[in-house]
Amino acid sequence: MKKKLLSVLMCATMVSALVAGCGSKAPAESTTDQSKTDTTTETTDKTDTATTDTASGDMSIYIVSKGFQHQYWQAVLKGAEEAAKELGVTIDFKGPDTESDIAQQVQMLNNALNNKPAAIGLAALDTEACLEGITKAQQAGIPIIGFDSGVPGAPEGAIAANAATDNYAAGELAADETYKIIKEKIDSATSTVRIGVMNQDATSESITSRGSGFIDKMKSLIEADGKTVSIEGHDKWTNKVDGANVIIDVAVPAQVTAELSSIDAQNLLNKADTICIYGSNQHSGEGLITGDANLNKLGTSVVGVAFDSGELIKSAVKSGKLAGAVTQDPVAIGRNVVELAVKAAKGESVSNVDTGCKWYTADNMEDADIAPNLYD
Amino acid sequence: MSAKTTEKKQNAFLNNPIVKAVGTQRLIALLALIIIYIVFGAISPSFRQYSTLVSIFDASYYIGFMAIGVTFAITTGGIDLSIGTVLVCSSLVTGALATKYNVPIALCLIICILIGAIFGLLNGLMVSYMGLPPFIATLGSMMLSKGFGSIFTKAQSVTWPQATEAAGWFRNIFKINIVGANGMSTPIPTGFILLLIVAILMATLLNKSRPGRYIVALGSNIEATRLSGVNVAKWQTLAYIISGTMAGIAGIAYAAVYSTLLPGGGAGFELDAIAGVVIGGTSMSGGYGTIAGTLIGVFIMSVLKTGLPFIGLQTHYQQVATGLVLIFAVFMDVANRKKRN
Repeated sequence: MKKKLLSVLMCATMVSALVAGCGSKAPAESTTDQSKTDTTTETTDKTDTATTDTASGDMSIYIVSKGFQHQYWQAVLKGAEEAAKELGVTIDFKGPDTESDIAQQVQMLNNALNNKPAAIGLAALDTEACLEGITKAQQAGIPIIGFDSGVPGAPEGAIAANAATDNYAAGELAADETYKIIKEKIDSATSTVRIGVMNQDATSESITSRGSGFIDKMKSLIEADGKTVSIEGHDKWTNKVDGANVIIDVAVPAQVTAELSSIDAQNLLNKADTICIYGSNQHSGEGLITGDANLNKLGTSVVGVAFDSGELIKSAVKSGKLAGAVTQDPVAIGRNVVELAVKAAKGESVSNVDTGCKWYTADNMEDADIAPNLYD
Repeated sequence: MSAKTTEKKQNAFLNNPIVKAVGTQRLIALLALIIIYIVFGAISPSFRQYSTLVSIFDASYYIGFMAIGVTFAITTGGIDLSIGTVLVCSSLVTGALATKYNVPIALCLIICILIGAIFGLLNGLMVSYMGLPPFIATLGSMMLSKGFGSIFTKAQSVTWPQATEAAGWFRNIFKINIVGANGMSTPIPTGFILLLIVAILMATLLNKSRPGRYIVALGSNIEATRLSGVNVAKWQTLAYIISGTMAGIAGIAYAAVYSTLLPGGGAGFELDAIAGVVIGGTSMSGGYGTIAGTLIGVFIMSVLKTGLPFIGLQTHYQQVATGLVLIFAVFMDVANRKKRN
């Protein structure tokens, strides 16, 4: 009897905890939900929903992002919400738990399709995995707008347009700026020197393009100065050259977790011939800084370069631990994906938008054209 | 004749006072740890460096606290799958309290441990009073804790205060940087002392105290223990509370070393800890637990985690290597037990 009572009590507390959990979730997302619903109810007249071919009032747009783990996505969300408010459309901004959860993202894309939105924004973690959903969208006549890393390798015509940083160009920018700093070291080196490249994964296009952009550009810059380059470390990029002057060493962790990236960074920092390490996104940049905690080589014997911002990276750039970093314009990405989606849904022609990127150092990070893109 | 001599030799090995004191499985695990360390060191010169040793300690803290805790749950014949996400949840929530709501760090650390304890209590009640299978109960709280952490932080990552900030003092519990005369700072892995103290306390609790004996007893035969008048539910709940509490402490350790916590993460951490426990010789079917063995298993896991990238193995090969070591270590234990029976 006593036991039964207890288990009933337990059930009750668990259910109430669940309700409380949902309750506390509401204010967390209320800012977005509220603004979404507000914008629609203001403009939609419920009686004539059937005849709204021109009005965007009840237009709903599903945006499937890569999740919210990094503050970067909050800036994208902010841009998207701003644009949605201005255009009077509803947006539903979703994202998987982590950037490794490819299956979960596919599920979200399918859910989006089931809701038959006017358009879908998609930042694919893995294009192959999303292909089925993309084809379904095509058949249903729902335009897809790619953003962030977009949906590379998607079938011709499946993606109406992309609102994205040209990640390959961003990687090249990082290589250009980095080479200016390390050129002397490479020129004066008597033995092999090593450049580390930390990529969070080898599947998402934004990460791999930034890696490839950096690697290719660095290789051509070094080779232009008459040195040889060998690329090692990960099968995707490997291009081994024996006895090369410069080794580009690529590290990819098994999983996107802080401790694995930190260990990768330590491994690179520990190699005596390493002169420079590049982290190709916020996560890798933070792993680089954390990994340096036991070694203190960044800013002294090793040049550190990162991507995006966040508290750790910003303070490391400020203190000189990192020589600099490339920042994207996440707010513009968010704005553009919504604007393009609305246009595409109305049947207007749309084309790709490069939202741009900039190199920042301790000297210019407070500048008016840089500071708004740097988030905590 | 020859069979007799090998038997004698075996008995001599098993009856050797050193082997008896350490326990065969723990001895095998310890040997494996030393061999892995030497092999890695032979392949990679940078693995032999002091800073790498510090990194191995760094990785051992969070796995270690989780593993010590989950040893109790496993000893009862159960399992706690929620520890990884509870670690992330408690550390995310308190990290956000510290940075966004300016709650003093000391209070945050206490809350961090408390959150772990509450999840442990929940697990314990579900298993002992509601009669849920431990696997399912803790799988549920794994999802709960994953969700709660994300909800509280609005699914944003949290970066705990840096060592350079005043609020970063808690990092000194796990690592003190001593600045030498030449201006170079040397990290001292002080967290190992804490890990060792906690391990000794918990080993005493598990094997030398009344609650511990009840936990072991109910793990080997819950019905018999119940029939002999022991309040089984109470002690079973205690085991899960310890497991959760330790996950909370592990949350502090993780934050102190790796700074940034990602919401939605943590699933998979528990497997490193459980692997460590099993390698150390604790029986998955319950009724026998060893904290000393767990500690050795944890160091095998952290040496593998830290060392595999150093010997130039690519990501996927690292996972294969870890899997092989786990299977081999547990097989040794199983084979050993069969022989003795």
